[in-house]
Amino acid sequence: MNINTTADDKTPRPASALNDASPAEEKAAEPVTPSVASAPAPPAPASAPKALLLGMSLGLLAALLMLWFAPVLREWMFAVLPESKFALQLRTTDIKKLQKEAAFLEKRVAALQKKHTQITPRLPYLIVDTSQNRIQIMKGDATLHEGVCSTGSYVLLRAAAQQRQWMFVTPRGMYQILGKRVNPVWAKPDWAFIEEGLPVPPLGSPERFEAGVLGEYALELGDGYLIHGTLYKRMLGMPVTHGCVRLGDEDLRLVYKNLQIGSKVFIY
Amino acid sequence: MTQKNYGKAFLQWLSQPLVWFLRQRRGVQAVFLFAVMLFPLFIFIATVALPVARNPFEAKADHEISENAEALPDSTPAEILTGRRDLAQKMAELEIKQAFSLTRLELAKKDSIGLVIDLLDSTANLEVKGVPMRRCKILRYRHSGLARRLRRQGRLHQWLAAPFILQKELATLPKAPIRIKEAPKDTIEAAESKGEDLPIEQSDAEFTLQFDRNLTLSVEQAQPPELAGRMREFWYDLRRYFDEARDAVIALVQLQLPQHRLWIEIELSREDAKAIYRALPARAALALRL
Repeated sequence: MNINTTADDKTPRPASALNDASPAEEKAAEPVTPSVASAPAPPAPASAPKALLLGMSLGLLAALLMLWFAPVLREWMFAVLPESKFALQLRTTDIKKLQKEAAFLEKRVAALQKKHTQITPRLPYLIVDTSQNRIQIMKGDATLHEGVCSTGSYVLLRAAAQQRQWMFVTPRGMYQILGKRVNPVWAKPDWAFIEEGLPVPPLGSPERFEAGVLGEYALELGDGYLIHGTLYKRMLGMPVTHGCVRLGDEDLRLVYKNLQIGSKVFIY
Repeated sequence: MTQKNYGKAFLQWLSQPLVWFLRQRRGVQAVFLFAVMLFPLFIFIATVALPVARNPFEAKADHEISENAEALPDSTPAEILTGRRDLAQKMAELEIKQAFSLTRLELAKKDSIGLVIDLLDSTANLEVKGVPMRRCKILRYRHSGLARRLRRQGRLHQWLAAPFILQKELATLPKAPIRIKEAPKDTIEAAESKGEDLPIEQSDAEFTLQFDRNLTLSVEQAQPPELAGRMREFWYDLRRYFDEARDAVIALVQLQLPQHRLWIEIELSREDAKAIYRALPARAALALRL
């Protein structure tokens, strides 16, 4: 059925009449499309360069995908590929020699493990966890006491006027108790004044010394870092200090009692 | 348009390239196929086939074992073979144990914090000078099939015989949660800033550590991430895959083969993952047993 049919076209015409149609009639018949007009017209054949370009574009996309999944493909290949022909059992050519070797290895492994356990300090030692702000007093593999602490706040204090800056971090690694003090007096460093918006007094000035703020005891770790008490007990368990390790009164007492000069402190 | 028509249109759209291809001359079809295959084939050979064929883990092993291989005749009875295999397996395990102990002792000589992972015991410890500071329980782990392959060949201990050194890391959390604070000008400003609340640090912790000798260690937290954490995790995963693809491209540009990395994925509690990541220094050492 033609879309453009008119009332006149309703009368059937003989086939010969169609063939004999004048050029004018043919032209008029051109826009007439069949009922399957919605189907796409067949694409024109492409030239070789066009096909090459199209193919390479598609190939590039596929290559990028393959690059993304290359590690997974390699894993699959390792799983699928046959084992090396030199499998495990082929190493055992001389069974007696191997039995001797195995016995020797067993002894050696036991000796190495023993050597490793001997590394652990004999004296009680302290472990400080700066990420959860907790402490453990240890002796060998046994935990003597666990408690909370406060460690470095990770604040970078910048004093633009003086072109100076301080990073308040508790250093990590292995340290030793270098000194023990009772009723320590705090010798305030420059940042303590700058942080308060106060002018920095000269070294040795009486303003620099403050008693009672470090608790009952202080244990020195070197480089100005201390394990000490605090007035701000509600802050225990939070990273709020200037790098020192602050403890509650009871924990501080236990640390002071158990740790001697030379005792190890492990901070992580 | 009905749903059926949409489906039909979609199928038509999908089949268009095929229809297009089938309507071309043979020559054009050949050119198209060649062009489509060219890049993927090159990438497959350069980043998959050749790195597998020449992977650094197995290359040495075959040569060494071949010296002994011919001594065992094909006619050896099965029970003898089994006995020998058991003994060889025991030897391989002992060699791994020895390598692990030696590596731990090596680690104990260093001043910095190191990581000790024992997959057989499901433990991950932070150690310094041989003292375990934090003992973490590995809740779940997976590792590359290549490790199983090396184990079957009895060559794993060679790879584990020295500490692995950290080269690169990627994480969903900052290494140090630094906050910058400008010094107050006077006591009034200092008093005002004192009232500021402490910022709550985001707590999700997932990270990937790339060590030398082609080892990648991924640590995931057992707890599902928070809403904001999921977005961070998405970008972290994307970055991980992107980095791997980028490294492969860099290797190809430098006319080298990208190397396959033996990966290990472990799952820890959020607190353990965070503590480990924060504690490990640059170029941290790792002792591994698997």
